[in-house]
Amino acid sequence: MSFIELDHTADVLLRVWGGTLDEVFADAARAMFQIMYGTCDAGEIVRTVDLEAEDIDSLLHDFLSELLFLTDAENVVFCSFDVDVRGNRVSATLKGEAFDPAEHSGTIVKGVSYSGPGIVKGDEGYVLEILFDI
Amino acid sequence: MHAGINRVGAWEWEIPIGFIPGMRVPGRFYLSEELAGTLEEGALVQLANVATMPGIVKHSLAMPDIHWGYGFPIGGVAAFDLQEGVVSPGGVGFDINCGVRLVASPLTETDIARNRRQLVEELFRAVPTGVGARSALSLSNRELTDLMLTGAAWGVKQGFGMESDLVHSEEKGGMKRADPDAVSGKARQRGMPQVGTLGAGNHFLEVQVVREILEPRAAAAYGVSPGQICFMIHSGSRGLGHQVCTDHLKVLEKATRKYNISLPDRQLACAPIDSPEGRAYFGAMASAANYAWANRQLIMHALREVLHGMYGIEYEEMPMVYDVAHNVAKIEEHTVDGRRMQVCVHRKGATRAFGPGSPDLPPEYMDVGQPVLIPGSMGTPSYLLCGTKTAMERTFGSTCHGAGRVLSRTQAKKSVRGKELRDQLAKEGIYVRAHHDAALAEEAPAAYKQSSEVVRVVDGAGISLLVARMEPLGVIKG
Repeated sequence: MSFIELDHTADVLLRVWGGTLDEVFADAARAMFQIMYGTCDAGEIVRTVDLEAEDIDSLLHDFLSELLFLTDAENVVFCSFDVDVRGNRVSATLKGEAFDPAEHSGTIVKGVSYSGPGIVKGDEGYVLEILFDI
Repeated sequence: MHAGINRVGAWEWEIPIGFIPGMRVPGRFYLSEELAGTLEEGALVQLANVATMPGIVKHSLAMPDIHWGYGFPIGGVAAFDLQEGVVSPGGVGFDINCGVRLVASPLTETDIARNRRQLVEELFRAVPTGVGARSALSLSNRELTDLMLTGAAWGVKQGFGMESDLVHSEEKGGMKRADPDAVSGKARQRGMPQVGTLGAGNHFLEVQVVREILEPRAAAAYGVSPGQICFMIHSGSRGLGHQVCTDHLKVLEKATRKYNISLPDRQLACAPIDSPEGRAYFGAMASAANYAWANRQLIMHALREVLHGMYGIEYEEMPMVYDVAHNVAKIEEHTVDGRRMQVCVHRKGATRAFGPGSPDLPPEYMDVGQPVLIPGSMGTPSYLLCGTKTAMERTFGSTCHGAGRVLSRTQAKKSVRGKELRDQLAKEGIYVRAHHDAALAEEAPAAYKQSSEVVRVVDGAGISLLVARMEPLGVIKG
């Protein structure tokens, strides 16, 4: 997995990197679910997400916010993220399991902020810094 | 202290105009020398960023629990002119009306000495906590609308409390400008199964003992006395509030461009208060704030039922001392440079602290000022303070909201393991109950500023005065 948690006193600041935007989106989602539920490896429940936004940073924000909505509304913990980013559109297939308080332990992510530089393209791919309110 | 910051009082510091480009007013914050080492450069920049927003009045303010957040710093307070000013979710946060409620009881430490553990376990069973928690109550869409319109009063009407609970709350437990039509279907879907649940992170329900009275006259008015057992509830608007913030942040981002507002940080997205987008956010935010008041009302009801069941005490013997919001924006009247004016006050990690004589106070608190509730971190004291005339003059009637973090989650987890922390707290006489020990470590007392030092600053600066110190005996966490 290509992400680390950076020190931030109040919230959770993540750095995610990947060769493609697909990887960056998937790893940001994986990291967010790890904060909320710890690890998870099953995947009977399948959901799809299709979104479009004005720019890539807004798209990532909307994508993660949509996952927060789905997990909270349906009590599903997503474990695998098959993501396809094309321009300012994302299509993703998510696999997960029903939330189980005995299995899943973490903290609630209240929201995805617009703080930080967003997605930056470098020589070896993309780097993202993103702040979650917890 | 950081370069470019001027001292303007024993506890007060100023960020002058020009610290960053575009500041319309100076920044002011309250801090002791002892806490100066915890001040992050990022928090100062955020405080200065707020000073660039249109229509900001007098100062961009921060309380001594200031720290680095997103948009506004945590501990930030800013008032905006109703004609020229803006409203911003970045000045409220995702957890709209996250707040604190204090409930008194006739019990003493001796009364609960034998079955304290059982009491905490019963509370843990009665109040759904943690990630994924669901309410025992199943609300219809219509009931949710009523709840968002009237807040805690909805709970009282359903039999989950007493009329006197309402007058002992900021805004009487419900903001008047709520507009449930501005709350999305998604927010409703998240909110319906969660009312009456505690949440996770730093949210808690704590059994406390009043250890010390520091201002007897106010303590008498608030009905607290030494040795008394009381209960503190710290929770917010749950998924509904989070979704309201997420939804409107998107709308206000576009509005920022539409109204040609130039901002140094995307997270400060805002709209004129009296614009369609500004009014929609305000109406949705007020609805979420009311949801949070109803949520704390239901948690208090569950608490009272447990106490009634275990000790046979009646509701009337468990009065609510007060309820304060610490993430909210409100229309209030304040005196600025000798002139009375209506302003939109944003408090993000800050508490209203209205002084004696303020019209929103119930008659019994009128002479001593509004109760202010400052939760400690797990294992450290909480404080009851009173609002002051000085707060009305200097901080738009505002004070601190809590301890404020000094360690990140990762640092906190490195410093102590959950199990060790539970054992350590047990030795100190504090029984902790949570779903998982791992979550405890992130909220370790060492991760927070000393709440005693934070309240010493606000007391020293006179923006609220210490009334009582409460120590934890038991706590349930998410």
